[in-house]
Amino acid sequence: MSGATELVCVVDDDQSVRRALRRLFKSDGYAAEAFASAEDYLAREIFEGPICLVLDVRMPGLKGPGLQEALEKRGACEQIVFLTGHGDVPTATRAMKKGAVDFLTKPFDDEELILAVKRALERAEEQLRRHGERREARRRIDKLTPREFEVFRFVIRGLLNKQIAAELHTAEKTIKVHRGRVMQKLGVTSVADLVRISQRAGVSPARNPA
Amino acid sequence: MKNVATPLGLGGLGSHSEADESGGQFFDWRVVAIALFVFAGYFLGAKIGFALTFRPHPVSVLWPPNSILLAALLLTPVRIWWVILLAAFPAHLAAQLQSNVPPTMILCWFMSNTCEALIGAGCVRYLIDRPVRFDRLRNVGIFCFFAAFLGPFLSSFLDAAFVVINHWGQDSYWQVWRIRFTSNVLAALTLVPFIVSWSAEGIAWLGKIRRSRFLEAGLLLLGLLSVNIIAFYKFAPTADSALLYLPLPFLIWAAVRFGSRGASAAICTLAFLAIWSAGHGYGPFSTRSAEENALSIQMFLIVMSVPLMLLAAVIEERSEGETTLREREERISLAAESADLAFWTINFERKESWMSDNGRAIFSFGPEEPLSRELFLSRVHPEDRNAVDEAIESARASSQTFEFEYRLLRPDGETRWLISRGRYGYNDLGGVRELIGVAIDVTAQVKANLQLRLQREEMAHMSRVSSMGELTASLAHELNQPLTAIASNAAAGKRFLAQSSPDLPMFEELLADVAADARRASDIIHGIHHFVRKSEGTRRPVNLNEVVREVLRLLHSDLLGRGTAVETQLAPNLPSVDANPVQLQQVLLNLLTNSLEAMQSTAAAKRRVVISTTCEANSSVTVSVRDYGGGLPKDDLDKIFTHFYSTKPTGMGMGLTIVRSIVESHGGELAAENADEGARFSFRLPVAAENEPGEVA
Repeated sequence: MSGATELVCVVDDDQSVRRALRRLFKSDGYAAEAFASAEDYLAREIFEGPICLVLDVRMPGLKGPGLQEALEKRGACEQIVFLTGHGDVPTATRAMKKGAVDFLTKPFDDEELILAVKRALERAEEQLRRHGERREARRRIDKLTPREFEVFRFVIRGLLNKQIAAELHTAEKTIKVHRGRVMQKLGVTSVADLVRISQRAGVSPARNPA
Repeated sequence: MKNVATPLGLGGLGSHSEADESGGQFFDWRVVAIALFVFAGYFLGAKIGFALTFRPHPVSVLWPPNSILLAALLLTPVRIWWVILLAAFPAHLAAQLQSNVPPTMILCWFMSNTCEALIGAGCVRYLIDRPVRFDRLRNVGIFCFFAAFLGPFLSSFLDAAFVVINHWGQDSYWQVWRIRFTSNVLAALTLVPFIVSWSAEGIAWLGKIRRSRFLEAGLLLLGLLSVNIIAFYKFAPTADSALLYLPLPFLIWAAVRFGSRGASAAICTLAFLAIWSAGHGYGPFSTRSAEENALSIQMFLIVMSVPLMLLAAVIEERSEGETTLREREERISLAAESADLAFWTINFERKESWMSDNGRAIFSFGPEEPLSRELFLSRVHPEDRNAVDEAIESARASSQTFEFEYRLLRPDGETRWLISRGRYGYNDLGGVRELIGVAIDVTAQVKANLQLRLQREEMAHMSRVSSMGELTASLAHELNQPLTAIASNAAAGKRFLAQSSPDLPMFEELLADVAADARRASDIIHGIHHFVRKSEGTRRPVNLNEVVREVLRLLHSDLLGRGTAVETQLAPNLPSVDANPVQLQQVLLNLLTNSLEAMQSTAAAKRRVVISTTCEANSSVTVSVRDYGGGLPKDDLDKIFTHFYSTKPTGMGMGLTIVRSIVESHGGELAAENADEGARFSFRLPVAAENEPGEVA
C-alpha cells in the first residue's frame, strides 16, 4: 500500500456506482475522490502525486477517450482504468492504444479492479519520477552559459578536449576550464553521468563536424 | 385441287356464308339459286354472244357464256361444280337449238366450253389460296395467264376440231381456232373480273358508301359513255385513229378511284359499246372485212383491259398497305399511350423527326418541335447528362442497342425517371441514317421501390430503436449500473469487515445503497412493460392478414437468403383488431426471426415456416408461426416468456419478453407449443369492438 500520497479518482455519471466505487477504494486504503463528469475532474486543482482515474466509457459530456486526450494535452501523468457496460472492441482498442492501463467490463471482479488500479498507480508513480528527473536535469542544464552548453554537447559526443578546442578554434586549456564548470554546475563527476543527464533532459550531442 | 371456301353470293345473292360448312347441303336453297342463276346467265350470255356475232362466222366477237361459266366456277366451292355444269347444260341447249345448229355440234361446243372453264377455274383456284379477287397483282397475273389465256388456248384446239369434223361453216381449222381463241380471251378478260368482283361481296357494301362516291361514279359513267359514243359511234370510220384513246383517261379514273370493280365495269362498258358500234357499221372498226374488224377490236380491247386490271390491283394493294400501316401505327400509339411509352425516330438523311404524342407530353416537347440529341439532353437531369450522352455516343460507335435509366428534369421542375432504349440505323454506305428509340416512364415504379426501401429502413430502425436491438442494449447498460454498485459495495463491505475497527454508520449507509440499487434493478425490469406502453402510439383497426403480408414483404430477401419456404394460410374476411400496426409487425417479425434461427440446423429442404391466421367465433383472431426446427425444450415451456430466458446461447432473452408485453398490452395472449417437428408460436388478439362481421379493414 502506497499511503495517502496516491489518489484514485472515480468519474462516473451514476451516483450510486460512484459512491460504491469510492467506498471500495477506501476500503482498500486508498485516498479516493469521485466526480460526476470529466469536466468536474478537470476543474480540480492538479494533484502532484500519482493518480489513477477510473472512468466509465459511456457518460455524458467529455467521453472517456476524449478526456484521455485532454489529459495528455495538460501534460499530467494520470493513468486510466476504463469501465464499460459492454465491452465494444473499437473503443477498448482505441483506449488501450492511447495508453489506458486496463479496460474492465461491468460488472467486474473487485480484486481485478483493485489490481488494475494498483498497476495504474505504479505506472503513474514511475512516470512521475521520470518527469521529475527530467525537470531537474533541465533545471541544471539551464544554468549553463551558451559556450558551456556548446562544450557540453561536444563532450557527450565523446570528443577529447583537444578535439573540442580544434572544433571551436580555441585553446585546449580554455576547454578544460569550461568542462570543469559544466561538471560542477550539473553536479556530476564523470562523463557517464553527463551523458545520463543529457538523455534525461533530452539534449542531443553536437553535430558532426562538416 | 384444293377445296377452297368461297363465298356463294353469286349474282347479288349477298350471302357470305361458306358452303362447305357441312356435307349435307346439296339441296340447300343457295345451291338451287346458284344453279338458276347460272342457267339464266348462261342463256342470256349466249343470246348476247349471238347478237355480237359478225356474220358469217360461227364465232362471236365476244362469247359471254364461257366466261359466265368460268366466273361461276371461280365463285363456288369445287364440291358443287357439277351442279353448275348441270345447270349450264340446259341453258346451252336452249340457246343453241334456237339458232338451228345441229345437236352434235351443240354437244361438242358444250364440251369445249366446259373444258375451257374447268381449265381456267381449276388452275386459278389451285394457285390462289383464298377467295378469288382482283385486288392483288399476283391474282390478276394468274387469272390473265391461266383463265384468260391458257383455257381458251387449249380448248380452242378442241373446238376447232369439232367444227371441222361436223362441217359447220366454211372456215379452215386454224381460222376457227384463231377466231374462237381471241373471242374467248376477250370475254374472259372483260366479263369474269366484272362478275367476280361485283358479285363476290354481294350488295351490302353499297349501303356503306358515301353519297359523294355515288356522284363520282355517276359522273364517271356519264363521261365514259359520252367518249365511247364519240369515239366508236359518232365519228366516221375514217376519222383520226387517235380518237381511240379518248376513253383512256376515264378507264384510268375508274381504276384509280374505284379499284378492280370500277375498272372491270368500265372495261365491260367499253367492250360492249365498241363491239356493238362495230357490228352495226359505225366507228373505226367497221371499215374492213368482218373478220379483220373483229380481230382488231378484240386486240384493242385485250390490250386495254390487261394493263387496266393490273393498275387497279396495284392501287388496291397500295391502299390496303396504307390501311395496314395506319392500323399498325394506331396500334403502336395505343400501346404507347397505355404503357406510357414514348416512341420516336430521327431521320438524319431526310432531316425529319417524329415522336408519339404522349412522348412529347412526357418530355414536354412542343407538338412540332424538331427532335435532336441536344434537345433531348437539355431535358435530362444535369447529373445524368454526361452518362446518357456517353451511352448514346458509344451506341453510335458500336452500332449496338443502347439502354439506360436516367432522370428527366422537365421545364416545370418535375423530375421523372425514364428508361430509354434505342439504336442507330445505317444506310448502305455505312453512314448513320436514323436513330429510333422508345422511352418508358418508370417514375411510379422507382417511387414505389423507394417507398418500399424507406419503409423497410424505417421498420428496421423502429425495430432496432424501440425493441430488439437498442432496447436490450440500453437495458443491459441500465441494469449494469446497479449491479456494479451492489457488487462494489459488497466487496467494500467485506474489506471493511476485515479491518480492525469497522465503521458502523458507514456500513449502514453501504447497506442502504445496496438495497436502493437492488430496487432500482427491479424497477428497470418492470420498466419494460412501461416502455412498451409508452411506445404504443395510436391504435386503429388493423387487418392481421395485411400485417402478415407486410412483414413477409420486409423479410422477403432474408427468406430468400436463408432458403426458407414460407407458406401462408390466411383466413379470408378476417375481422380487424384494434392495434398499433407497427408493434404487431414487430411481434411477427420477432416470432419469424426466432423461427428462422431455430431452423439453422434443419436441412435446407425441410426449412419451412407456416404462417396462418384464424378467427375464433368472431371474437378473437389468432396468428401463428410454425417452424420445422428443433422445437422447444420440454421442461422450459412455462419459462419461455419469463425475463432473460433464452434458448439461444447468445440470446439476451429479451425478445420474447417484449413480444409478450406488446401482445398483453393489446389485451391478447401469447402461446408457445411444440408441434410434430418444430415449434409453434401464436398470439391471439380480441376483435375490434366496432368490427362488423366479415368486414375487411
